Amino acid sequence: MKDKSHIFFIFSIIFGLIIIAQIADWLLKPASFDKFGHYRWNAVGEIQSQKIVNQNIKVCRECHKDIYQIHEKDAHYNVPCVDCHGAGNLHVAFHKGGKGAKNISVKQAVLKKEYNLEGCLYCHRKLAARPSDFPQIDVEQHFKFLNVTDQKTKCTDCHNPHEPIFLLTDVRNSRLHPIVYKCNDCHNKPVKSSYSDVPNHPKIFECKDCHAEIVNDFSQRPHHNYVECRTCHLFHKENETIGRIYKNGNAKFCLLCHEKKSFKSETYPPKIEWPSHISKIGYIKNGDEKTCLNCHSNQIHKMVLGNGKSPHKGNWRKEHKNFAFNKTTNKMNSSCSLCHQKDFCSSCHKLEMPHPGDFAEVHKDMIQKKGKTLCYNCHGRQFCAACHE
Amino acid sequence: MGFDMGHKDRRKFIKLGLYSSAGVLVGSFYAFSKREISPELKKYEDLLKFDWGFIVDTTRCIGCGACVRACKIENDVPDTYFRTWVERYEINNKEIVRVDSPEGAIESFKSNNYSDDIVKAFFVPKLCNHCYNSACTQVCPVGATFHSPDGVVLIDKEHCVGCGYCVQACPYGCRYINHEKGTADKCTLCYHRISKGESPACVNACPRNARVFGNLKDPKSQIRKILHQRRYGLLKPDLGTNPKCYYIGLDLEVK
Repeated sequence: MKDKSHIFFIFSIIFGLIIIAQIADWLLKPASFDKFGHYRWNAVGEIQSQKIVNQNIKVCRECHKDIYQIHEKDAHYNVPCVDCHGAGNLHVAFHKGGKGAKNISVKQAVLKKEYNLEGCLYCHRKLAARPSDFPQIDVEQHFKFLNVTDQKTKCTDCHNPHEPIFLLTDVRNSRLHPIVYKCNDCHNKPVKSSYSDVPNHPKIFECKDCHAEIVNDFSQRPHHNYVECRTCHLFHKENETIGRIYKNGNAKFCLLCHEKKSFKSETYPPKIEWPSHISKIGYIKNGDEKTCLNCHSNQIHKMVLGNGKSPHKGNWRKEHKNFAFNKTTNKMNSSCSLCHQKDFCSSCHKLEMPHPGDFAEVHKDMIQKKGKTLCYNCHGRQFCAACHE
Repeated sequence: MGFDMGHKDRRKFIKLGLYSSAGVLVGSFYAFSKREISPELKKYEDLLKFDWGFIVDTTRCIGCGACVRACKIENDVPDTYFRTWVERYEINNKEIVRVDSPEGAIESFKSNNYSDDIVKAFFVPKLCNHCYNSACTQVCPVGATFHSPDGVVLIDKEHCVGCGYCVQACPYGCRYINHEKGTADKCTLCYHRISKGESPACVNACPRNARVFGNLKDPKSQIRKILHQRRYGLLKPDLGTNPKCYYIGLDLEVK
């Protein structure tokens, strides 16, 4: 029994330490720790109370409605105000008044407005890593193309950043390219009416705005009633050919409509048997790269290469023939390859020019087989006369 | 005798020492402990309705750096540190990959790294992944970094001792030590903005909608819609951190 006292003493020390630890835990642990987890719950509130710096475009809209309305209709509609004008918290606080307004100087409240080239090039500099469908500028080339001599010229001298597409051109009222932009890019619900029926709708680029000649010509050809420009000129989105219109008249593409199949109507459109169609003609071998357009181009529209501008100026065919004739000494054996690389003509024309290599042997037979005696059954009326008088 | 006296004295001395040290401890705890009252802007139950997620569409990013600049101003991030940054990957025809991010792309990118033989190149914006099983919150010795009830990994600046364990633990390099404040720091998904119904500063600044932010618990939210429609990847999924930042169009080269 004598020994009890020291046990009691040890236990009392342990008990005392536990109590001290409990008190220490209660006192040292910050308030709200472990309330909802192993963290200080009040910290959440503290982080929440940090002040907002970057302003939302909705805040800007309250005062600058006029600019907002221009901005939202143009290509930069997705670019928020903060990207160019800075965060804007001081500007808003200063002009809204209230408690903090007194501490802000007028200078602090001014938004960024002046831009050098660099500001625009953050987004628009030409870089390999940028998506190819995003407009990118190689400044050196751009200036060279426009004959700009002063290298310090700013983008904003010509382009209004609030409405960048509205340049001093005929298409300044146009905005959206129908092949690039679709209605549902802006509209959530399917659109029933045409944009032209809606008053104040931003104008949309139409093919005829730029290619009036071709569109007029097309409207007189048989295809006009059944297909649109877009039916053939597919636009390749999201790849390296972006911005280019698909214009290779591949036979397979024409055959989608014009091949005879058991499940297709017999009446329209006109159908052909394939591949017996080419074997009938005889002159085309299987696997040859002849396209339907070689013979049927007059069914569609005038074939002008290169954005409506032919690289051959004026009455080129006639003039070049005479020019080439005078240049060469051996007039009987003159050929393109004397001056040009072998594939010079075929790089654009997809076939050997002026006549395919086997023209002399085969063309005559082909005409005989087809039973056609006039050149312009297959070619345009001026086709042969352009060279042969 | 002398031994007895000494024994009692020692006992008295130890007792006195213990009591006095306990008293000093208790007193100092009282003196130093702060009973703060913090503004609770949103209730715990309200926060449980959210699970904030993030989508980065690498196919849309143009590497302009607007997000980096916006983040820097919004959160007063010190120079040379970034809470979000944009990486550029360039692969040339010899299959050599180059990754760069000059100054976190705060001034965008000036030129291509390869002269003309780039076969593939793209931008990948990066930020804290706010992982479900985050490594950084597990290593904190003082419980200063935590998951908020709405699924954001936050740092308690009052409580953080700046030991830097979490900076080393993060496999994505998303944390840094803020030397001005002496604490660890990281992306908070702009917690002060999202709790007021705004989008994070980088999402607000993105001119191409390459960054999407939303509530993963809401089946009608845009973020869920995109995750159902698009094919996405995660950064370093093999680490099991289960990140909550989804990357659309992620390449194998991206780590």
